Amino acid sequence: MRKQIFEFLEQDTRSAALVRLAVSLVSVLILWEVVATFVTNRLLLVPPLEVLNALIGEVKKGAMWENAIATVTAVGTSFIVSVAIGIAIGLSLASSKMLSLTAGPLLSALNSVPIIALAPLFIAWLGLGFASKFVLVLLVAVFPVVVTTEAGLRATDRQLIEAAKSFNATGLQIFSTVTFPFALPFIVSGIRVAWARALVGIVVAEFFGSFAGFGFAIMSASQTFDTARVLGYVIVLGAMGLIGSMIFEALQRRLAPWRQE
Amino acid sequence: MSIARLRIENIDKTFNRTGKPGVEALRGINLSIEEGEFVAIVGASGSGKSTLLRIIDGLLEPSGGKVYVDGAAVTRPGRDRAMVFQQDALLPWKTVAENVAYGLTLARTPKAEADKTAQYFVNLAGLQGFEQHYPHQLSGGMRQRVNVARALAVNPKILLLDEPFAALDAQTREIMQTELLTIWQESKKTVVLITHQIDEAVFLSDRVVVFSARPGTVRQEIKVDLPRPRTLEMKRQPEFVRLVDEIWKLIEDEVRASLKQTT
Repeated sequence: MRKQIFEFLEQDTRSAALVRLAVSLVSVLILWEVVATFVTNRLLLVPPLEVLNALIGEVKKGAMWENAIATVTAVGTSFIVSVAIGIAIGLSLASSKMLSLTAGPLLSALNSVPIIALAPLFIAWLGLGFASKFVLVLLVAVFPVVVTTEAGLRATDRQLIEAAKSFNATGLQIFSTVTFPFALPFIVSGIRVAWARALVGIVVAEFFGSFAGFGFAIMSASQTFDTARVLGYVIVLGAMGLIGSMIFEALQRRLAPWRQE
Repeated sequence: MSIARLRIENIDKTFNRTGKPGVEALRGINLSIEEGEFVAIVGASGSGKSTLLRIIDGLLEPSGGKVYVDGAAVTRPGRDRAMVFQQDALLPWKTVAENVAYGLTLARTPKAEADKTAQYFVNLAGLQGFEQHYPHQLSGGMRQRVNVARALAVNPKILLLDEPFAALDAQTREIMQTELLTIWQESKKTVVLITHQIDEAVFLSDRVVVFSARPGTVRQEIKVDLPRPRTLEMKRQPEFVRLVDEIWKLIEDEVRASLKQTT
C-alpha cells in the first residue's frame, strides 16, 4: 500500500504532479497552523485562516482588484517586452563572435550588479508609476533570456547543421529548421527564470515608487503592522510565480520531449 | 571514353591551424567511380577518408584538385549527392516522415509531392507504421534507416555513406548491411561508403579502396568479384575471408601505429 502510494507520487503524470503539489501545500499549512498556536504575538505571525479572511476583505473592498490590475499590467507588458528584447540580443550575440566578445563581458557585469538596489534611482529618473516599474522589471528579467538564447543557439549539434548544409540549406533555412528549434527549449527555461525575477522586480519597484499594486499594498500593510494582509499579498505573488513556472515547464516539455526520455 | 559518374582528381587537403603547423589530411587522391558502382573506402583512423567524403559532398573545400560529377566540377553541396551521416543527424523535433522529407522541404518541393516521395522511401526502408514516431522513440538501427531514406528521398545520383553502421551492435549491423544491399539493388545508385569494418567493405562493395594514413593516399584498389545478390553466408566463404585478410594486411601496420599516436 505504502509502496503503491510512493510509486504513484513519483509518476510523471499531471495528476501525480497535482497531488504532489497539494501534499506539500497542505503540509505547509498544517505546520504554519501549529507554529501559530505557539507564537501568539499576532504582529509576528498570523494563522492561515486569518490571512484568508484578510484576503477576502481585500477582495470585498475592491483593493485586491485595483492592485492586481496595476501589478499585472506593469509586470505583464514589461515581461513580454523583456522576452522579446532578450531573444533579440541573444540572437545577435550568437550570430556575431565580435559582438559576443565585446558586449558579452559588459552584459555579464550588468547581470551581476544588484539592479534592484538601483530602484530609488530609477524612480528619481522616471517618476512614480508605470515607467519606473517597466524599466526595473525589464532590466532584471532580460538577462536570463539573453544568456539562454545565446547558449541554446551555440549548443546546436554540429551534425545537425552539417546535415542541413549537405542538403544545400541556406543560412536562413539552417536557422529556422535547425538552430532555432534546438535553442527553443533553452530559451523557454530562460523565460521561466525571467518570470520569477520579474515578480521580484515589480514588487521592489512598487515598494518605492507607486500608489497601487501588490508591492505598494505589502508596504502599506507592513507600515500599519497588518501582518495578515502582508502575508496574504505575498501568497498571491507566490501563486503567480508558481502558475508561471508550471506553464513554462509544461511548454518546455512540449517543445523538447526527446530530452525527457 | 565515357565520363565517369564521379571523378576525384589530385585532391589535396591541408587543415590550417592558427599558430600551429597545418595538418595534411589528404595527398594526391585520384579515383574514378562508374555509374551504379558501389565503392568502399577503408583505412586506419586518421587516413582522411571522412574528409574526402565531405569534399565529395561539397561540405569542405579541397586545398588542391577537383571533384567532378558527370564531368561537372563540384563547388558546394547539391542534389546530385546525398550523405548518410553517423547516428543522431536526425532532427529530434521532427517525425520520421518529416525527417525523411527534410531534404525535399529544404528544396521547396510542393508539400503533397514531398509527402508522397517521403512515404515511398519510408516504405522502402521498412519504416511503415513508424511515420509519426520521433527519432528518440526508435532504436539505433531504425534511426539509421530513416537516415538512409532521407538521403535517398532527394533522388541523388551518388549516395555518400559516412560509417553509417558504426554505432550499431554487431547483429543489427549485419542486418542493416543486407538491407542496404537490397535498397541499392532497387535504386541503382552510385555509392561511396566510408568504413573501418573491412568485412563490411568487402561484403557490400564492388571495389575496396585502401587508404594509407597521415596524409591519406590511395594505397591500393582491390576488386571484389563476389557474385550478387550477396548473402550473409558468403562471409564464411574462402574467397571472402581471403579478401578481408589481404586488406587487413595492407593497413595493419598503420592501425597499430595509430594506436600510439595522439590526434
